[in-house]
Amino acid sequence: MRWILTRAMQAFFPHTDALPGLAEEAAHAHLDRLDAEAPLLFRLGLIAGALAFTLSPLLTVGLPLPSLWLSAERLDLHADRAASHPLYLYKMLIFTLKMNAGLAWGAQDQVRRALALAPLPPDPRTTLAGEVTP
Amino acid sequence: MTHRSAGVRPTHLSADYVVVGSGAGGAIAAAELARAGARVALIEAGAWRQPQDLPHSILGTFGATLDQWGVSITRGRALWPIVQGRAVGGGTVVNSAIIVRTPADLFERWSSELGIDGLADAVWAAQDEIEAELEVGPTQPDQLGRHNALALAGAAAAGYPSHPTVRATPGCAGAGTCLQGCRRGHKRSADLVYVPQVLDAGGWVLSNAPVRRVLVQGGKAVGVAGRFIDPITGRPGGTFRVDADKAVILAASAAHTPTLLQRSGVRHPALGEGFRAHPGTTSFGIYPDPVDMVQGASQGWASTAFRTDPGYKLETLSMPPELVAGRLMGGGKALVDRLAAYRHMACFVVGIRAESVGTVRAGWGGAPVVRYTLDRADMERARHAIWTLARTHFAAGAEAVVPGVVGLPYSLGPDQVDRILQASLDPRHWVAILSHLFGGAVMGADPQRAVCDPRGRVRGVRGLLVVDAAVIPSNLGVNPQHTIMALSRTFTRRLLEEGA
Repeated sequence: MRWILTRAMQAFFPHTDALPGLAEEAAHAHLDRLDAEAPLLFRLGLIAGALAFTLSPLLTVGLPLPSLWLSAERLDLHADRAASHPLYLYKMLIFTLKMNAGLAWGAQDQVRRALALAPLPPDPRTTLAGEVTP
Repeated sequence: MTHRSAGVRPTHLSADYVVVGSGAGGAIAAAELARAGARVALIEAGAWRQPQDLPHSILGTFGATLDQWGVSITRGRALWPIVQGRAVGGGTVVNSAIIVRTPADLFERWSSELGIDGLADAVWAAQDEIEAELEVGPTQPDQLGRHNALALAGAAAAGYPSHPTVRATPGCAGAGTCLQGCRRGHKRSADLVYVPQVLDAGGWVLSNAPVRRVLVQGGKAVGVAGRFIDPITGRPGGTFRVDADKAVILAASAAHTPTLLQRSGVRHPALGEGFRAHPGTTSFGIYPDPVDMVQGASQGWASTAFRTDPGYKLETLSMPPELVAGRLMGGGKALVDRLAAYRHMACFVVGIRAESVGTVRAGWGGAPVVRYTLDRADMERARHAIWTLARTHFAAGAEAVVPGVVGLPYSLGPDQVDRILQASLDPRHWVAILSHLFGGAVMGADPQRAVCDPRGRVRGVRGLLVVDAAVIPSNLGVNPQHTIMALSRTFTRRLLEEGA
């Protein structure tokens, strides 16, 4: 499942001449954090979106194949058409996938450097958890 | 002074007043009671983060400060996210601290339609005090950044009034991270201003403590009960019960307060009815020179010129690339190529003063289920608003605008702006979010139509008060924090006067 998720996320943010794409390590780091912290509904939405994306090239590029078997050009077209498909519920499932991929993509150091933004430090945890008397 | 969070042992406390929710409504009520010498327990479902503990990333913001990681959605024709804060300080931690006084026309409407009288002077007097406490002032020229400056210039050139926002952010460094929380501590949010007053007065603060139900005995609210959760994993911890000798005060938000009342066995025909919001959407302008919209105040510009006709408010919004990546249309190389223009983008947003009304009910597991669909008149307001924003972008020098509505081209040039007026009115063709939620336990003079009386008291249960946006019976058309705070202070003072 993890492999399907990362491939689906990367399809939305491929490397281009202008900007870096979503790196596999960044996708894994995002998914690791979701596994550890995110509510079930959030994770289920992402999984449903990734499965919908993987199984639906027939809807977008007319090929009865999983997206994993598409050529790079066809995969790119599939991602573009899936994101604005007229079937609303399908489009919203794809949106959950794209949103997660975007969160992972935009947080990468190399992307932020390309956009003249400083890298993001690691997120801190709360220091006011547990029983404390400030 | 004691703060307790995420414990595994059962906790049983006793106080004069229990306040549920520590955002704009709850924190100020708790502070008011504590300053009056009462024993107060302030209970918050979310975690407590000091400014330096706030996340840097948007994903971290979702997890640390937003209710349900920001993925609660409306049930209706369109599935739109409902964005609410969930942290000690509530939404004041992650909003832009925009302060707008309650417009007079609202009090007139509430009086004529709902029999709510005698609020205006008290609310405005409270707002005078709150503005001093929060060190409110206009966004300064050196805090604007190019993003907000473009909006000011664009509105002036387009011929309508606008202004730098008035905010509770003394010493703002213009870091453009209001929505992630201000790590510099410059935002005068409720967790920094009012929650410490509760602790200083010897009260309790419980965080990571979602209240499951209000305890009612003999027709009187006598306390609350729930179970702690881990702030990171969300796993359940020990149970808690807090007894209230005098009153229970609810300020858990317009989504959670009505459902908490429902879970607690409160019955009223209007409970869960009258839900309203400011649905919001964006318009990006693409400019010839870099805008770098995350430099400067996150929301340093606003206009209320269209608040009453057709009914919307306009603002800027600094959006980091993580969010713009999900917002722009398309996928694959086409999307990444569009994102290459990120530095040249300015983001203007609209909040619709929607008249559409929805419901909020406790669903599976007791979580809020919001049913809400914008009607045609509200969609026309939305369409007019993004047309106005597009004109503003072009007046400010944009080369193109990105309207973001299905059926329109990805971008439009200056001579195509009127195409927006033909945009679809189907909500499914729009990307929007719901923030600024109102209603669900509205106040009013009619016992059949209003859950709460005009002093915020829940009908049918003694010692139970609502002091958040759930009591607000209409859409404000302005940022609600100031109104919520002032209503809460007014209701709390009246509660103290009557001795609960």
